Amino acid sequence: MNPSTGPAAPAPIIVAERLVKTYGTGAAAVHALDHATLSIAAGRFTAVMGPSGSGKSTMMHVMAGLDSVDSGTVRLGGVELTELSERERTVLRRRKVGFVFQSFNLVPSLTAAENIELPLRLAGKRADSAWVDELVTTLGIQERLSHRPNELSGGQQQRVAVARALASRPEVVFADEPTGALDSRAGRALLAFLQRASREFGQTIVMVTHDPVAAGFADRVEFLADGQVVDGFDHPTAQAVLDRMARFDAVAEEVAA
Amino acid sequence: MIRFTLAQLIAHRVRLALTVIAVILGVAFVTGSLVLNDTAQRLFDEQFRTASAGADLTVRTATAFDSGMGVEVERDPLPAHVVEQVAAIDGVDAAIAVAKGSVRLEDREVDLGAAQLTSWIPQPVGAFPLRDGTAPVEAGEVALDVASAGTLGLRIGDRLTLVADQRIEVRIVGLVGFGDAEGPPVGTAVIASLGTAQEALGLGAAVSELMITTDLAVNELQPVLGEVLGASYQVATAQDLATAGAEAAASNLEMLQIVLVAMSVAALLMGSFLIGNTFAIVVSQRTRELAMVRATGATGAQILRSVLGEALVVGMAASGIGTMVGIGGAIGLRALARGAGVTIPDGDLVVEPRTVLVAVCVGVIVTLAAAIGPARRAAAISPVAAMRQSAAEARLVSRARTTVGAALLTVGAVLAAMPSFGADMPMLAVGLGIALAGVILIAPVVIRPMVRAIGAPLSRMGVAVRLAQESAERAPRRTSATVMALALGLALMSFAAIVGASVKTATGEQYREVIQADVVVESAGQEMLGGVHAAVFDEVLGVDEVGAATRLKYGHWRDAGMMSALSAVDPDAIEEVAVIRMIDGEIADLATPGGVVIAQRVAEERDLGVGDELTMTFARTGEKALPVVGVVADTTARALQTDFLVSLDTYAQHFTEDMDASVFVVGAAGVSADRLAAALERELVDHPTVQVRDQAAVIAGRTQIIDQLFGLVTVLLAFALLIAVLGIANTLALSIVERTREIGLLRALGMSRAHVGAMVQSEAVFVAATAVVIGTVLGAAAAFAAVGALGTIAPLPLVVPLDQLAWLGAAVAFAGLLAAFAPARRAAALPALEAISHD
Repeated sequence: MNPSTGPAAPAPIIVAERLVKTYGTGAAAVHALDHATLSIAAGRFTAVMGPSGSGKSTMMHVMAGLDSVDSGTVRLGGVELTELSERERTVLRRRKVGFVFQSFNLVPSLTAAENIELPLRLAGKRADSAWVDELVTTLGIQERLSHRPNELSGGQQQRVAVARALASRPEVVFADEPTGALDSRAGRALLAFLQRASREFGQTIVMVTHDPVAAGFADRVEFLADGQVVDGFDHPTAQAVLDRMARFDAVAEEVAA
Repeated sequence: MIRFTLAQLIAHRVRLALTVIAVILGVAFVTGSLVLNDTAQRLFDEQFRTASAGADLTVRTATAFDSGMGVEVERDPLPAHVVEQVAAIDGVDAAIAVAKGSVRLEDREVDLGAAQLTSWIPQPVGAFPLRDGTAPVEAGEVALDVASAGTLGLRIGDRLTLVADQRIEVRIVGLVGFGDAEGPPVGTAVIASLGTAQEALGLGAAVSELMITTDLAVNELQPVLGEVLGASYQVATAQDLATAGAEAAASNLEMLQIVLVAMSVAALLMGSFLIGNTFAIVVSQRTRELAMVRATGATGAQILRSVLGEALVVGMAASGIGTMVGIGGAIGLRALARGAGVTIPDGDLVVEPRTVLVAVCVGVIVTLAAAIGPARRAAAISPVAAMRQSAAEARLVSRARTTVGAALLTVGAVLAAMPSFGADMPMLAVGLGIALAGVILIAPVVIRPMVRAIGAPLSRMGVAVRLAQESAERAPRRTSATVMALALGLALMSFAAIVGASVKTATGEQYREVIQADVVVESAGQEMLGGVHAAVFDEVLGVDEVGAATRLKYGHWRDAGMMSALSAVDPDAIEEVAVIRMIDGEIADLATPGGVVIAQRVAEERDLGVGDELTMTFARTGEKALPVVGVVADTTARALQTDFLVSLDTYAQHFTEDMDASVFVVGAAGVSADRLAAALERELVDHPTVQVRDQAAVIAGRTQIIDQLFGLVTVLLAFALLIAVLGIANTLALSIVERTREIGLLRALGMSRAHVGAMVQSEAVFVAATAVVIGTVLGAAAAFAAVGALGTIAPLPLVVPLDQLAWLGAAVAFAGLLAAFAPARRAAALPALEAISHD
């Protein structure tokens, strides 16, 4: 357990340098990532923010080994992702990465418990039952484990998804707009849990969001715009994030004008 | 809405392709069988119309019936005085004597096969116009039909021997046609002068029939002739003759018709599962889109019409193609049926407008009926569904459906079992039909535990297999439709395999038990009454190695309106070659003139015993009461092929046919069966259509028809099974599209491509394995009922050809694996990222 809220920044677990990702060619080309550089500190809860089309989702997909880049390097826990084959990336995802998606993405035919154990079973590993018990208790879903996703509320489904992401103690958990499909109360509860997971268990979490309130739960926030990381600061509050975003908008309007 | 419907069709054309293929197959079967039937009917009609067209009236000796089991009865010849009597009647323009009958052709001792000998009748009365050479008017001259001369490699000037009552050396002097054709559609025609024909057929001065031309109206002269000649003679119009002849010939095709109709029904039923499935999946995939259309103001009824409209277009297009395929396929079907031993004439295909109408209607109705469920579900989609996420099919199957299904299954099973305990045979078909409907209804409920049971031992193999099992369980209705299409085809095949094996085994056992002959001489052909010329028996008796020999003949008779068959044996000799187990009386009592021995089954059914009388109607001699002189065990009767035995003398009184079905031979003391067979083969070398068979070969010959029928059914069903296997591919492909997001998620969570592929493959194997289990069980249960029912007619032990069933099952499971190949690759190729961002 390494409560990493201290002033000294811990060693980065992900280092992404000069990432370039372009969709389409010629005039229709979209630069999703345009020489983006970012490092994620281990054991901390980082929010990645930016307006639609800023490249924040692509950034996350690349860091998680879901997507490839045109150029640049990404190291995750010392492994250079850009040099891995599709198959090796699959294995890496299985071993080192957990995911929480906006739309829960549970396997509808499996029960909550089976969904939680799924990544472990895909990796051919046994679940650490003490750890899983602790997770489901903390998340308050121990009563719902034998239910299937369609019998759970949105908040419950997302908590199952969080338990699934954490069950294998991955090096990094990526959360893509985890509160996007939840009401504000369920959303806040989930964010509080992510915060707790980071602080109490030292879990590295990278959350992509466009919601300043959500970003306020993180240890650090990074801002992306037009495929580049343009800013970032520690200990964000919702208000500070809002202010910073307002400045971007002002700059953007000046540029447009 | 029409534009919407059409846009949908185009968007889903790939998905609908399989539906189209399924309909095409079913419609093609329907069309093919109708075309084949019409063509055969037309050709037979033409044949008999051509044969009798030249005469206004024909006089023959009267018979009680014209034909039995597809064979025209042999009639007594007309005495010479009748010819004079008729010629003298006022109004008779010409009375032309005709001699005709079957002969064998020999070319320098080599048997060229059977031919129909007819005396020469000049045009326009005769049906055989001279095409080349001269008419055969002198003794020792013949003409051959052009087509057969070509096939047999014979030319004008060649010498031949006609073998019938007498052997007559003849020379070919001319070639004839048949009407406008090169020859009759079936068989060989030989034309000789009246005198030569009479001599060959042993008619003396008598003739087979009289062809009469008149200037009077036919219906004026007919009663006059009838009055003069009396009841012993029949005066028939050309039309009547043609109809009777064609009917006799066409009744040979009845069995084929039944098989084809059964295949059509099976193919359409299997097809309807796949059609329903495709529409259900397409609708479920479009839930959001349909909901949106509803939200923008379309009514439920409009959606219903739109989906049904799609089905209509698909049904019509597929039926159209299916009709054409069926017409083309009729040619292949004809070759296939001929390979299975059915006599079908060659000639241009006949496509009646009725055929097209029936085929298209059937195709469209089946498609519409199969689509109505999905269409109603589509219409029930609420506009709010557009805002919802999930479009997965409900896991629950309505309790009402299950209850009705279980009730139908129970009732059907009870009905199907009843014939085993003496109820009427049709009850079996009704029961099986009802039971099948029940199985279809309860299938979705049964399939989940079955998939689970099959999956349980496999799911330890890994999470991919477990997920595949889940996926198969998830949409029980869809899975069950896929399974049932396959299971139905397999059930029919295993049914045919089990019933076939049981009948074959019983036939073999009964035969071995009864017949003690070392070798049997039989015809290689499948002539209804046996095709061994009477002279063969005498030649056999002349062979030194022969200890004893006796002949078996068959005849047809009418048993209270139903055609039946009898066997004729030599009561003094039969026990030298067979073990005759009598229940009552002695086989030797058959020698008492006119007696009959009946099988035990018949004796019990009709409460007949020794001393009673049995009324039998013979074609030639009419209704006769024969004394029952004995009751024989059923197995003995089956080995001798019929339930009624008479002596050869009795046979000769009632039948003019003189063909033997079998000649049973035992060797002289110290002669081995092999040596005996070799000696007989040497002796009978000039009878190439006659075969010397050992016990195994005789049994094989008797069960050949079962093998041929099974072969025909297998080939036809193989097409249907192919479609059903493609159905697995289709269902999987569609369910992968549905599960894009889920598969992407699994990939994101670390499932490898190989794993995803294995997951899809496993699902196909689950479906195929479930189908194998259900299909085999259904087929076996139906076969059990059928064998039980048939067992009430003749003892029939149930034989389950496990190896055959295992092969069938393995082939289907393997086919399922192959079918999943493409969908599995497609699923494995889904990029993880696109899959999660899919929306």
